[in-house]
Amino acid sequence: MKILTTVKKVVDVELNIHVENGAILEKGLQYVINAWDENAVEAAVQLKESHKADTTLVSMGSGDNTDIIRKCYAMGIDNAIHIDDPNLAKADSPTFARVLQKVFEAGEYDLVITGKQAQDTDAGQAGIMLAEFLDIPCVSNVIEIKVTDESHIQVSRLGDEGTEIVDLTLPAVVTVSDGINEPRLPAMRGIMMAKKKKINVMDLAGLGTSFEDVGGTDPKSEIVEFMAMEKRKGGQKFEGDPAEITAKVVDLLVNEAKVL
Amino acid sequence: MDCNPCMKHQLIRKTVQEFAENEIRPRAAEMDKGPGFPEDLMEKMKPLHYFGLQTPAHLGGAGLDSTSYAIVVEEISRVSAALGLCFTVHNSVGIYPILRFGTREQQQQFVPPMAAGERIGAFCLTEANAGSDAGGVETVARKTDHGFVLNGTKIFVTNGGICGTILVFAVSDTDPAQSSVFIVENHTPGFSVGEIEDLCGMRANPVASLFFEDCAIPADHCLGTMGQGLKIGLSALDTGRIGIAAQALGIARAAFDEAVSYAKARQQFKKPISRFQTIQNYLADMAVQIDASQLLLYRAAARKDSGRPFSAEAAMAKLHCSTTARMVTNLAVQIHGGYGYSREYDVERYFRDAKVTEIYEGTSEIQRMVIARDILTRPA
Repeated sequence: MKILTTVKKVVDVELNIHVENGAILEKGLQYVINAWDENAVEAAVQLKESHKADTTLVSMGSGDNTDIIRKCYAMGIDNAIHIDDPNLAKADSPTFARVLQKVFEAGEYDLVITGKQAQDTDAGQAGIMLAEFLDIPCVSNVIEIKVTDESHIQVSRLGDEGTEIVDLTLPAVVTVSDGINEPRLPAMRGIMMAKKKKINVMDLAGLGTSFEDVGGTDPKSEIVEFMAMEKRKGGQKFEGDPAEITAKVVDLLVNEAKVL
Repeated sequence: MDCNPCMKHQLIRKTVQEFAENEIRPRAAEMDKGPGFPEDLMEKMKPLHYFGLQTPAHLGGAGLDSTSYAIVVEEISRVSAALGLCFTVHNSVGIYPILRFGTREQQQQFVPPMAAGERIGAFCLTEANAGSDAGGVETVARKTDHGFVLNGTKIFVTNGGICGTILVFAVSDTDPAQSSVFIVENHTPGFSVGEIEDLCGMRANPVASLFFEDCAIPADHCLGTMGQGLKIGLSALDTGRIGIAAQALGIARAAFDEAVSYAKARQQFKKPISRFQTIQNYLADMAVQIDASQLLLYRAAARKDSGRPFSAEAAMAKLHCSTTARMVTNLAVQIHGGYGYSREYDVERYFRDAKVTEIYEGTSEIQRMVIARDILTRPA
């Protein structure tokens, strides 16, 4: 079984992010692997261990992704492709899905595992669109993958009314939720081996396509502006006679908060 | 000199930090009530190769370079110095001498179970009348038709209570000037473990005396060749010093981090104590010493990796890191005031743990001897 898994480098949202003039300030930002993609990598590596799957990782973007790819290598991924193209810096989900389509078609994979969404944009589109472009089945929000036979898998997904169990014919795309596994910490030997592995870096031309071909020049969506969330104001504390406080609170709710 | 860590070293530090914060931190204070390490924690560390850090992959280890090794020990010790001690002793003076001086058969027999964490390593040199002076060793190895018989008592053996494979420094019964190192397994008849020491710090580590009473071992359990004892001992200690320096640095960093956050939070005279110049001077002094320690340690590690002599550099790193650990933990307690003297705060544990880094693997006085000898024997 050949598995393709995707990873995205995202801003570490646990650190402070500053916005100025509608854009995020680069200074002080740190980047990490999208958490759901780490679940996807772990799921792929588990299938490698249990079913001798061959695992390939693809990352896309503008600039160096070596650090996050090395971590995935250390976790056990076999091969890595990085599509490094300056045009991809501001690409939208359909464009990324088209690039993934090209990668998929070049490698003839049986299964694509992606995180259910990226923690920076929270769009959750690329994996599903990829399946649509390839005209293959897709299940999102997956929490378990079982291999039935060489051409079938059974997955469990978190649905609105409980766990749904779906049989899938391969090739297929699954997008995974964090409930599927606990991503492993790389073992020390894995980290040492990771530095020796090659990363296949190419631009869109190297992939046999162009920014126009993948729909990049005709984006379906565009980020217009970033805005910082307003800081929450502290609450008010009232002390004293209960009757007086009640009158005061009601007055504030009616005249200031205007909720009554 | 490039002081920026490479990507591999950054990944190793981050990986160990994550493990240490999630798995060790919540249990570190409890472990300090010791002795011993939680079984499930040790089990989790086995597949991550913590027990075979510098052991080559074909013998079951991770094959780390010395810089990576120091990073691992530093980060584990930042959370639990006693556990860091277990790893550094096991990896450096436990496994390393077998890798460096052992025959191929000895390496294949003893190293894989140690690298897998199934057998914990210990190195015993210290005795009642021998420590800094290795010439005072009284444990005797008598040659027999089948091998050797060991008799003697070793004290203050780190990992003593949990050791599986032990390197024993002993002298020949016919020539006390001739010393050798022997590999003894804990199931050997005549070997026994004494009571666990009640120590000031590093309380989770089961430091103990080890007894050898007519302890018979096969001839091929002599490490390297007969009479190589001092050479093996000195080489093991050079390597061990990088580990202890890393451990001391980890303790110092832990205490420093606590001191900074406490100084920012603690209010006196209606302002945080970090606004007072005295506290700022303390923090600045601590930071400078920690930074200098880091540079000395990673220079020694890089030098070892480059294959050049590193004895003096390791001694300088060990001397400075351990002095820094004592000074920084002392100031961290001072900044915490009365709370720092309470077991409720981690700085009290760091303070107790720091002191011994100036004593074991060669006291600070011995480090100065090593450094001075290097200075005085340099070509003019």
